[in-house]
Amino acid sequence: MKRWLAMVLVLALAASAQEALKVGVVVSATGPAASLGIPERNTFLMLQEILDRTGGVAGRKVQFVILDDASDTTQAVRNTRRLVEEGAVAIVGTTTTPASLGMIPVVAEAKVPMISLAASKDIIHPVDAQRFWVFKTPQTEELMARAIVADMVARGVKTVGYIGFNDAYGEGWARFFETEAKAKGLQVVVSERYARTDTSVTGQALRIIARRPDAVLVGASGTPAVLPQRTLKERGYAGLIYQTHGVANPDFLRVGGKDVEGTLLPAGPILVAEQLPSAYPTKRVALDYIQRYEAKYGIGSYSTFGAHAWDAWLILKPALERALKRADPAKDMAAFRAALRDEIEATRGLVATHGVFTFGKDEHLGLRFEDAAVMVRVEGGRWKLERTFR
Amino acid sequence: MDATILGFLLLDGLQNGVVYGLLALSLVLVFAVTRVIFVPIGELLMFAPLSLVWLLSGKLPGTLWLALVLGGAWALLARGRGAALPLLGGMGLLLVFFLALRFPPLAYPAVVLLVVYLGVASYRVFFQPMREATVLAFLIMAVGLHVAYQGLGLVFFGPEQFRPEPLLRGDAVVGLSWQGVLVLLFAVGSVLGLYLFFRRSLFGKALLAAAENRLGARLSGIPPQEAGMVAFGIASLLAALSGLLLAPLINAAYFMGFMLGLKGFVAAILGGLASYPVAFLGALAVGFFESFTSFYASAYKEALVFLLLVPALFYQSFRVRAVEE
Amino acid sequence: MRYLWFLLLLLPLGLAPFPFYLTLLNFFALSAMVALSLYVLTGLAGMTSFAQAAFMGMGAYATALLAVKAGLSPWVGLLAGLALSLLLALVLGALTVRLKGHFLPLSTIAWQVALYILAGNLVGLTGGHTGLTDLPPLVLFGLPVDTGFRYALFTLFLLVLLVLALYNLRESRLGRALLAMRGDALAAASFGVDPARLRLMAFLLSGAIAGLAGFLYAHFLRFVNPTPFSLEASIKYLVMAVAGGVGSIPGVMLGAAFFTGLEDWLKDLLPLLLGRQGNYETIGYGLILALILILAPKGLWPMVERYLPSRDPGLPKAEPLPLKSPKGPRGEVVLGVQGLQKSFGGLMAVAGVSFDLRRGEILALIGPNGAGKTTLFNLITGTLVPDGGKVFLFGREVTGLPPHRVHLLGLGRTFQHPHLFPELTVLENAALGTFARTRAGFPQVLLGLHRREEERALATAYGALRRVGLESLALERAERLAVGQQRLLEIARLLASGAEVLLLDEPAAGLRAREKRELAHLLRSLAREGYTILIVDHDMDLIMGLADRVVVMNYGQKIAEGTPREVQRNPLVRAAYLGEEEAA
Repeated sequence: MKRWLAMVLVLALAASAQEALKVGVVVSATGPAASLGIPERNTFLMLQEILDRTGGVAGRKVQFVILDDASDTTQAVRNTRRLVEEGAVAIVGTTTTPASLGMIPVVAEAKVPMISLAASKDIIHPVDAQRFWVFKTPQTEELMARAIVADMVARGVKTVGYIGFNDAYGEGWARFFETEAKAKGLQVVVSERYARTDTSVTGQALRIIARRPDAVLVGASGTPAVLPQRTLKERGYAGLIYQTHGVANPDFLRVGGKDVEGTLLPAGPILVAEQLPSAYPTKRVALDYIQRYEAKYGIGSYSTFGAHAWDAWLILKPALERALKRADPAKDMAAFRAALRDEIEATRGLVATHGVFTFGKDEHLGLRFEDAAVMVRVEGGRWKLERTFR
Repeated sequence: MDATILGFLLLDGLQNGVVYGLLALSLVLVFAVTRVIFVPIGELLMFAPLSLVWLLSGKLPGTLWLALVLGGAWALLARGRGAALPLLGGMGLLLVFFLALRFPPLAYPAVVLLVVYLGVASYRVFFQPMREATVLAFLIMAVGLHVAYQGLGLVFFGPEQFRPEPLLRGDAVVGLSWQGVLVLLFAVGSVLGLYLFFRRSLFGKALLAAAENRLGARLSGIPPQEAGMVAFGIASLLAALSGLLLAPLINAAYFMGFMLGLKGFVAAILGGLASYPVAFLGALAVGFFESFTSFYASAYKEALVFLLLVPALFYQSFRVRAVEE
Repeated sequence: MRYLWFLLLLLPLGLAPFPFYLTLLNFFALSAMVALSLYVLTGLAGMTSFAQAAFMGMGAYATALLAVKAGLSPWVGLLAGLALSLLLALVLGALTVRLKGHFLPLSTIAWQVALYILAGNLVGLTGGHTGLTDLPPLVLFGLPVDTGFRYALFTLFLLVLLVLALYNLRESRLGRALLAMRGDALAAASFGVDPARLRLMAFLLSGAIAGLAGFLYAHFLRFVNPTPFSLEASIKYLVMAVAGGVGSIPGVMLGAAFFTGLEDWLKDLLPLLLGRQGNYETIGYGLILALILILAPKGLWPMVERYLPSRDPGLPKAEPLPLKSPKGPRGEVVLGVQGLQKSFGGLMAVAGVSFDLRRGEILALIGPNGAGKTTLFNLITGTLVPDGGKVFLFGREVTGLPPHRVHLLGLGRTFQHPHLFPELTVLENAALGTFARTRAGFPQVLLGLHRREEERALATAYGALRRVGLESLALERAERLAVGQQRLLEIARLLASGAEVLLLDEPAAGLRAREKRELAHLLRSLAREGYTILIVDHDMDLIMGLADRVVVMNYGQKIAEGTPREVQRNPLVRAAYLGEEEAA
């Protein structure tokens, strides 16, 4: 017990001795959401290098304190409290919806602004006393489901099937997609679940095929999204197959190969940045991110998830600059955090990689559907822009 | 449900079931000989195809260094003449891997060797020093290794899945690929091989005797330590080969092994962790059950599969009288 | 001494300026509670569970649902959560407590996985994988327990109460019985413990403690979703308990503190050593666990304990229960055996044996090796169920009753190999005998209402030790005793139990000549006081000098009965023993 106490004290002293602006980052770099969390972590590591080189924000050094939550709520909460305690001016993260929801009471209690990197609309809606402090950068499932359903309607799809992860990701998609589909007159004829670790989804695929939907949506992320699609093809399903933006990484194409040819998915415009029309607002910012990321981590290594983290910084940076004019974190941290929150909420027309952010009193997502979603098709082992919604 | 769907589900259940079966046999064998519930067998199963992918793309996998480090620890623990095996094995491993970088077909035996070496070294370094520990202590150790190996798997191979080329392409019949046929044949071969080994060979018989009775081990002339190494070796070999054959069908990733192992484990329990045939049949039952529940109630599949244990345990609880001398 | 645990409450005061460490304290307290639930289950009762997180989940979801969906007070949620965890423990326990060894942990894995999936998929009820948000804070006497500081005080206070309650449990008839049952269910049953029932009770208690931790978890995070109640979480708690030392309360507390701190410590240290690219925490976690298990197989605490002063509990001073109140006339039949039969796989071990045992006599049961004497013992005491025949105790039929029921009627036994509990003191071993004569149940024991009864039980045990001449060793650990002393201790345990009919299985085996004389003297004086003794032994000199009557068995059958002299002259007996000598 004594040693533990001593350790605690040493840590506490170390934490108070530094002067840089601390930004707390919680990501799921291990555990089930690692496929999304690792590019986010990499983006912050890259940002740290850039900021060290260019001298930070408004002449102040910035330090990202990055903690892994192993895709676990308890750890996310622990990390958040720790970051708050270590004097983080804001918290970015985390990757998964449940863990982000768990962090909300913590940041609200400590009055620290938070920018979540998770999908669900529940994180920022409704903007109540707690969510007053919470913003997020990724498109909601609701927004992306709108894109999918719009595309399905345009293609004359009448009946759809759904198969998704048996976790928060698959559940969120099932909820918002099925609501949106029904609202637009589509019939959801079958809704199945599978586990990320499953080695076979034959049963689910057969059930889907037996109901003969015109299209199937796979609500899964990363490479495990390949298995249902491949099984459906092998069992002779000939309809359209949609994926979610959770698969928008190069590994999906690598593992999927020929089996995922022709897949349709909604994505942030950054996925096909170079194919965007030059008038597309986010094109330049997105290309800039891709070029930096690939320079550090290798050609073809970028994914759209890391870009959510980048967007969070794009929002945070000017907000920090403005907040620094209003309050001094060294003197009054609480006032600075409050000012920072106000300045984040005051963000208007900020062009980022995934869209244009305009926050407001009751709007903590800030993305417009028209800029933030495009439909993409897999063609020849590459992402191909299918349509924009502008 | 029509006959086609029934046929597909049965084939699917069979293909999964035999893999659970091989894992169940491995778990029963290891448990009988060493009292260790070999939880990290799933990680070893995944290490084989993942290492193969790395080797075939011209990189040395991190698992090689892990094996060599553990081999070094093994040699230190064994000292003297006992150190010859880990040292020679380690050097052999290194040699085969460097050769495999030049001659890709060598990669297959190389990763099998790697996984077997890793399995045996794990026993010697982690379990053997605990010797007379309780089943619970062994179990916790096994869980610790599972956690560590899974973490290492993420560091070595990243978070995503990989799909090695299948050995055979195309479908044998609709619903069963040639690779699937290969898995079935391998399972039949392994079961036959194990049967012959335990019933016909002197060493196999002695090992069985050792498993039934710790004292019997000394009488039959096999030191328990050696019996344990052989048991872990056989288990790792089965895991490595299953992993290599299965990976093209299921896509291998660091996180996929645990569930496979756990299902094999369910089957092993159905066999009371003692009976080989019942464990294998139990595994087939798990496979079929899983296939049908994924058709009827996919969201609750895992829950139902694990609850399959309850009637089995209920049966056991009526059979066993708690108080015995 | 144990009240020093209240010092834990000073921690939140000292750490109040550092909210994060208050958070850690809260997590420590919650983990420690779950680890304590494993102390009850594994440390005391010798069972293992991989479903402690599921029990937590029961507590957490019950209060979350009632508070969020029905708007009820969290205290109603607490009751509901405890009820739900108890219910789960009851179902799970009823199915599995009879199973031996590894089946219990394995079946808990199954329940754990199944419940996790249910929590994730009953979206309408539980909020699914996304979880339930906006739980209300706890309110205590009008004061909201909503800050880390207040919560830490609250949870630590409950933790300390729990620790004290568990110390009470350990130092009670139930604690001793649990430990005894873990070591040796057969011996435990011989002095009145119903192993299945006691296991079930331990399981219920353990489930309720974990449920309480879950309740506290839910109102601390004010958010619930399934991941904290997964198999991985259960494994983590088990690891904490075992690595710290699951056999003692400070051990599991140390384990909880060590691993709660370790995770954050690794988060700081490993990136410095290995860079930020990888995530090495879990690897370090696994390897540290492996090291602990190899270097300190009983956990960290025994290594620490060596350096702490040990404390002498002192001898009991209370008024003892009477050792025995011999009632009824001498010569009355107390145990009747009629035509008992038992076969093992076609081999008749006992083939129709009958005899009567009369109050105040010493009856010896002799016969060559393999004659079926021990089997007969086991049939009489209920350890084995006979294939045929009847057993009467004090005129009541007890055929086929389980051992603990037979014991309650006044019959006690010793074992061929002494069944003692080496980690308990001699006094505690003897006090085990009083189990059936004392009443305090789990609620009384946990609340510490059993103290007077406990004092009397210990005094009784001390009296019994004096009766057999072991009182000077009362506070030694039983593992220090020589063989002869172990046999005497078993007899003392019998005396403490108040049994009138004593079945002694080879009490003189391994004794030296002088010890045998002392034993004979002791048994004779016990018989004079009205105890009735059935003794099995090989030592003919001892038996012939001691027994009033002798029953001789061979090949499962009674071949002779009578006074020692009559039996010695019996040709069948001589043939049986000569035959054995020839064979030898």
